[in-house]
Amino acid sequence: MIIFSERINGMYRDVRGAIAEKDKKIVHELLRAQLAGGADVIDINIGPTKGDAVENFLWLAQNVHELSDKPISLDSAKPNLLTEVVPRVRRALPGAKLVINSCTAAADYMDKLIPLAARNHTGLVGLTMDQEGVPGNVEKRVECGATVLMAAIEGGISVEDIYLDPIVLPINVAAKQPSHVLEAIRQLAAVSDPPPHFIVGLSNISQKCPMHRMLNRTYLVMCLAAGLDAAIMDAADQDLVEAVISAEVLLGKHLYSDDYVKAWRMQKGL
Amino acid sequence: MALPDVKEKWSGRVNPVTLGATKAEGGTRGRTVTIGGQSGIPFLGFDGEIPHPPAIALDVLDKAPLDWPKPLAEIYGDVWSDPAAWARRVKELGADLVNLRLTSTHPDEGDAPPEKAVETVRAVLEAVDLPLIIWGCDVPAKDQAVMPKVAAAAQGENCLLGAVTEAEYRTLTAAAQAYGHKLIAMAPCDINKSKQVNILVSDTGYPLTDLVIYPTTASLGYGMEYVYSILERGRLAALAGDRLMAQPVILDVGHEAWRSKEARSGDEVADCWGPGEARGPAWEAVTAADLLQGGADLLILRHTKTLEVVRRLLRELAGAADVAHV
Repeated sequence: MIIFSERINGMYRDVRGAIAEKDKKIVHELLRAQLAGGADVIDINIGPTKGDAVENFLWLAQNVHELSDKPISLDSAKPNLLTEVVPRVRRALPGAKLVINSCTAAADYMDKLIPLAARNHTGLVGLTMDQEGVPGNVEKRVECGATVLMAAIEGGISVEDIYLDPIVLPINVAAKQPSHVLEAIRQLAAVSDPPPHFIVGLSNISQKCPMHRMLNRTYLVMCLAAGLDAAIMDAADQDLVEAVISAEVLLGKHLYSDDYVKAWRMQKGL
Repeated sequence: MALPDVKEKWSGRVNPVTLGATKAEGGTRGRTVTIGGQSGIPFLGFDGEIPHPPAIALDVLDKAPLDWPKPLAEIYGDVWSDPAAWARRVKELGADLVNLRLTSTHPDEGDAPPEKAVETVRAVLEAVDLPLIIWGCDVPAKDQAVMPKVAAAAQGENCLLGAVTEAEYRTLTAAAQAYGHKLIAMAPCDINKSKQVNILVSDTGYPLTDLVIYPTTASLGYGMEYVYSILERGRLAALAGDRLMAQPVILDVGHEAWRSKEARSGDEVADCWGPGEARGPAWEAVTAADLLQGGADLLILRHTKTLEVVRRLLRELAGAADVAHV
């Protein structure tokens, strides 16, 4: 599975503080833990930070890249911000692999972000929602997912660089949504051959739930069984990562051995 | 109607492993033999590169075998009491490597001391300039006494030493590491154990790229298809990028084929099974031909006819002008 590290996010107070103080030590410390846990892509999100959003984004990207040449996922729900940030990061880090996270199936989002991704040779996370918001059913999710997938392919982004995010909502808010996400993944996997990647922002499932780690772990395994192959998650959560590896062994993605967790880490050079 | 393109996109590759060392490389071999290196399934040239054809070793024992049937006695009977002479014979017959078994070190086969084994290895190294595969007697306590000394005596020759297992791997791995030899990692008919042995050996600091997998072997009629499926699964894992299964594979075809009653029986069963002299090599060759399809890189054979047939088969399957390592 492709592990997008969720931790370099201004929603976390320590990261917000680091951005405000321009203290890269905190960022590097968090990043090291994510890399040691097996992160493949570093998702960065400035969150509700003060100051110039573009400069903050650039600062974060440069400091992540200083420590690791893993791909960076530029995470923002604001297409106008991404339009400014992506070319700046691309110029500052010409060799870095980038992913734009994310683009909805709303026409004005796609019109801006798909050409932006193509021009700057980035991957793209497509959300299965449009201007009307997160769909309340499976059908609309699949429709939105297919729309953004087809538009991205037509826009010149190769399918292995496209991630569909069926949008996870908290279990304590939307009880039926978790199973809708699973079904949407199953159906969207049949839309194109080869299929795109499927990704979730995992921690959403358990927001404000006391049993959040157990919920994250369980839900991620369920998603993997449905066809998920990427997640924005805490790579430093060892139980979570080991649940992923176990699920993938059980799904036949890796050959079993008694030391299969160690094998996975050796394979990744950890 | 256009045929669909069935070409697979593989992300992995079988490790190339070079055996033997020439003078320039610190040894005394006339040439080296490289196995592995493929980036696609066996013999599908369009699927990936096949830089090295499977190599063939012929068996040499360090004592005269008591149970080899007539077709083999006819080829080796006059030399098999002298491992050096036997090694010269297998070179003349066209082997890529000498497969030396230190049978006499076995407690039930004479219990020869390590010094005797060292002497044999030295004599064989002097007699021929082919790369060597060297096996102990498969009794861990004895092998642990013999193999480090053998490894030291053959230092610089880049031999292939057999075999480490999940239970016994430390001594031989350390010896191979210390004296610069490649290693055979054995897991009898168990692909999960095969991966596990590689993990354990690698954990000691021995490079994964110096290992050769030995899944053991079964001949035609004796579970061959089980080994075949293990070969196939291992190879697909390697090509899919599993570095812990990316090692080339050695198979002991001759030993297994010549254990079968079909190969061993002589002309007393000729009425229904045909003449003995043809049946044995055929049994060995069919086993080899089938297992090669599953993904094997180094075969240990016995009969010259088998060698000839397998070489021809490799030539025809590869469509290459020259598949001999000679």
